[in-house]
Amino acid sequence: MNVEIGEVTKRFGRTFAVAGVSLETGPGVLGLLGPNGAGKTTLLRMMATLIPPSSGSVRLLGRDPAGYGPRREIRRRLGYLPQNLGYYPGFTVAEFVEYFALLKEMPPGRVPQAVATAIERVELGGRARAKLRTLSGGMLRRAGIAQAIVNEPELLLLDEPTAGLDPEQRVAFRALLRDLGQRATVIVSTHLVEDVGAACSQVALMDAGQIVFHGTPDELAAGGEGSGAAGDAPLERGYSAVLAAHRSAGAAA
Amino acid sequence: MTTAGLHRPAPGTVPARAAGARRQRAAAGCRLVRLYLVSRRVPVALALLAGLGAVLWAALHWRWNIAGGPAAREFIPLTIQTGAAAVIAVASYGPFGEPERAAGRWLPWLRLGAAVALTAIAFGILAAGAAAGRMPGGTLALLRDLGGMTGIGLLSAAVLGGAFGWVGPMVYLLIIEGALAHRSVTPWVWPARPPHDRGGAICACLVVAAALVLIAVRGPRESSRESGRAS
Amino acid sequence: MTAATSTPVRHRSPRVTWAVPRGARLLRVELLRSAMPWILPLIAALFWFDSYRPSTATAPLYGVRTFWNMGQGHTISDCGPFVAGVAAWMGSRDARRGLADLVTATARPRWAAQLVTWAATAIWAVAAYLLFACVMFASYAREGVGGTPPWWWVAVGATAVIAFSAAGFAVGAYWPSRFAAAVAAFGAAIAMYLSFQIGFSHASGWALILPTNSNGNFDGSALTDAGIFYRWLPDLPIARMMFLAGIAMAALGLTGLPGRAGGRRLRLGAAAVTLAGLTLAGTAVGLVRTADVTAHGVVIPALHDSSSDTPISYTPACGRAAGVAVCLNPAYRRWLPDVTAALAPVLAEVAGLPGAPVRATQVPAAYAGGSLVITMGGHPTVLHLSLGQLNLPGPCGFCAGPVAANQFIGWIRLLFAQSFVGAGQGAGRPAQQAVGAVLLRGAGIPFAAQPGLMASAENFAGPVSAGCPADTKTGCGPGPSTGAVYAAAGRLAAMPATARRAWLAGHLAGVRAGRVALRDLP
Repeated sequence: MNVEIGEVTKRFGRTFAVAGVSLETGPGVLGLLGPNGAGKTTLLRMMATLIPPSSGSVRLLGRDPAGYGPRREIRRRLGYLPQNLGYYPGFTVAEFVEYFALLKEMPPGRVPQAVATAIERVELGGRARAKLRTLSGGMLRRAGIAQAIVNEPELLLLDEPTAGLDPEQRVAFRALLRDLGQRATVIVSTHLVEDVGAACSQVALMDAGQIVFHGTPDELAAGGEGSGAAGDAPLERGYSAVLAAHRSAGAAA
Repeated sequence: MTTAGLHRPAPGTVPARAAGARRQRAAAGCRLVRLYLVSRRVPVALALLAGLGAVLWAALHWRWNIAGGPAAREFIPLTIQTGAAAVIAVASYGPFGEPERAAGRWLPWLRLGAAVALTAIAFGILAAGAAAGRMPGGTLALLRDLGGMTGIGLLSAAVLGGAFGWVGPMVYLLIIEGALAHRSVTPWVWPARPPHDRGGAICACLVVAAALVLIAVRGPRESSRESGRAS
Repeated sequence: MTAATSTPVRHRSPRVTWAVPRGARLLRVELLRSAMPWILPLIAALFWFDSYRPSTATAPLYGVRTFWNMGQGHTISDCGPFVAGVAAWMGSRDARRGLADLVTATARPRWAAQLVTWAATAIWAVAAYLLFACVMFASYAREGVGGTPPWWWVAVGATAVIAFSAAGFAVGAYWPSRFAAAVAAFGAAIAMYLSFQIGFSHASGWALILPTNSNGNFDGSALTDAGIFYRWLPDLPIARMMFLAGIAMAALGLTGLPGRAGGRRLRLGAAAVTLAGLTLAGTAVGLVRTADVTAHGVVIPALHDSSSDTPISYTPACGRAAGVAVCLNPAYRRWLPDVTAALAPVLAEVAGLPGAPVRATQVPAAYAGGSLVITMGGHPTVLHLSLGQLNLPGPCGFCAGPVAANQFIGWIRLLFAQSFVGAGQGAGRPAQQAVGAVLLRGAGIPFAAQPGLMASAENFAGPVSAGCPADTKTGCGPGPSTGAVYAAAGRLAAMPATARRAWLAGHLAGVRAGRVALRDLP
């Protein structure tokens, strides 16, 4: 298992952004669904070793990120794309990806090839020398994906990766995810249910800081059958149904 | 469409609804001004200006301009005025970029008003700080020098971008230093001229006027990628 | 996006041998994209306008040329605020661009990444500073400026640039606000101008450590022969470099203290760097408090190397004045004709008289002045000229105007006359004044012109103006050309030359000793 999370909570003041989450996953693509404020980003940031949990245990790639040495080892094998991606406008695409390859302590001799490969994989090869300030929003997002995958990570965390991508690019991105998921653990936080359906072998649904569903997309879709829940597609109806059931169970309690 | 429900006010009275609308507009205007100032980090700028006033007070009270000829004695206060001008210039730009520029007609007035108000506040703060001792040149020189320096800062923001609005005043400070040391007489280096000098005052006013017009009409230079990231 | 795969990466713990190339690659990216180069043309323009151009209006000697730009630190003030401001901009970059999280989530400690960013910023700034200084000195060399460049002070300036960049970077890293660059630039400016101001009133002690304090590194009157007769002493520059390096270390160490900077051990290391920097700076201040101002500059005993006391050997440039050899340091070669023209008539006047010099040689000016410009002594009598204390013919920097050759010649003759009659620093006793006046008249300066000449030479010759406070040693000046002193001088000058020379031969010793009164003159 690359990700082993046990009863993790994260508290900000009096608010529990993550309120007792347990999750185990290995190679493959896990979709993380949930409404705004469900705690997806906070959970992802904990897995990215940016913030420690308030309680509970986290093991990533067989290591405890609480220790500096193990955390550094995790980060060498980690790829992370945050929801709000910043960038240095004066950098070119290649420099941006190279910069993060070097920060991830990739062997220097492998960096140029890795950078070129990553840029090609996100179909920015023709814009490798373009300054980031000249790119459209979707291209910037792809540059962000490139920096996340440049080191062939064993754990890849993507927060809203397809924001700004056109439909054709989203299709290609899903194929990339499936390929990456063959060797690595990929966790994708997204609002786009169709991305989950197309690329993910597992899906976890979060609400109010807790995981309320963990299974396959088919199982999630089945949860919406005959429920009368809102949605234009089976997965959307399953999503709505599971959320509604969790919330009504919570209200009853 | 009918006239049902249309109320005509009695002649000479202000209908309550119109008065309420005016109050709402005034309140909205105040809110707009407040939000504009907050977006430009004006509260932080005011705190920095207050700090500069304190530095000026300390400099005059403890006689930091302790030695050297008259030119050297002017220099610490001039440096502090440069700092104030730099703060005002940097506070001129906003984080929104094109959406703000496309939004409506109030932006030039907001820019102009903010620049003038900040300059006036800076003058008040530094004049208060100057109460600690004899400010070289007195209040009149302070007004001329600070105003002109702020004009240079705003021009610098218009050309280089708000984030680098501090560059112009710093360059000008070094030019003043050279002019003071070499006893230059050009009115374009107005801090080197006597307080009541007309030429220096005219040049400073020209710079301020040009800067205010430019900032009001065009605003500080912004790159399309700077918006949304300015802190 | 494609699903093309590459072979899986086998990660190994990086060995130290990988660190340099990876760091070098990071540095290369940062150097290419640093914001510092954008401000360098502006700094170059300021350097030319504020550091170089004013220096060309001074005498072509390194000590004089570099008093304004190196001694008073204008090369530093032209760079410092802008370097600090841009460094603050770079220090705040990650937070401003919303990349702090992303950079933190990488393996390389955030502090290490920040240090690389800072290093690129500093490299640009220092390289530019050194380039500007070298271009300036190359221009001086092409012009034939005398002496040797003050390279130690160039090194101090470069270290100051590093310190400003580090301090500015720390400001930006801790406070990623839009105002950080302005605050850093202002802070640098006010620090330098305070340092400069303090130099006017504190010529010793702790204040010597301040980088734009001109006392102690250059003579306050900018007329030293450092780099001409004696070497530029490195003691004070070394102490200042220690101080500035300490500030830089402390500032950079501070950026490694926050929790996100890295692991616990790294942050402890950053704390150690901070403490080491503060210790280094404090040590430098302590060392400079032990400084002594010697004739050749500031000596700090703990840092002093006696080899720097070795005088600079040279082959003198010589001419002749009234048959007397006049030899100057080759740095002053261009003024040899003026010196020989000045001395020829006075040497001719005193030729054969007791105490007439048989040779004239230049001696170095001492730090903080105080010594006489012209002295005579020894057997046989040698005339010693301390030209470094005089304003030389030509551009004069902050004088009212350039020094005319005949003005310089007049000063030399006046100072010669004062020295010959034993007046020393100051106008001397009335009889000495009268004899001196006669010598000057014989050298071509009529009595009517002599009071004005003395007034113009007051800085070198001592108080001579009428109404000056009475001083039993130096007295006041000879007064107006219609006064008693000039009347007595007139009587002496009216004697036949042979009789006058005979009287002088018999009475010069008494005149010099002050035993001859005005009424004793014939």
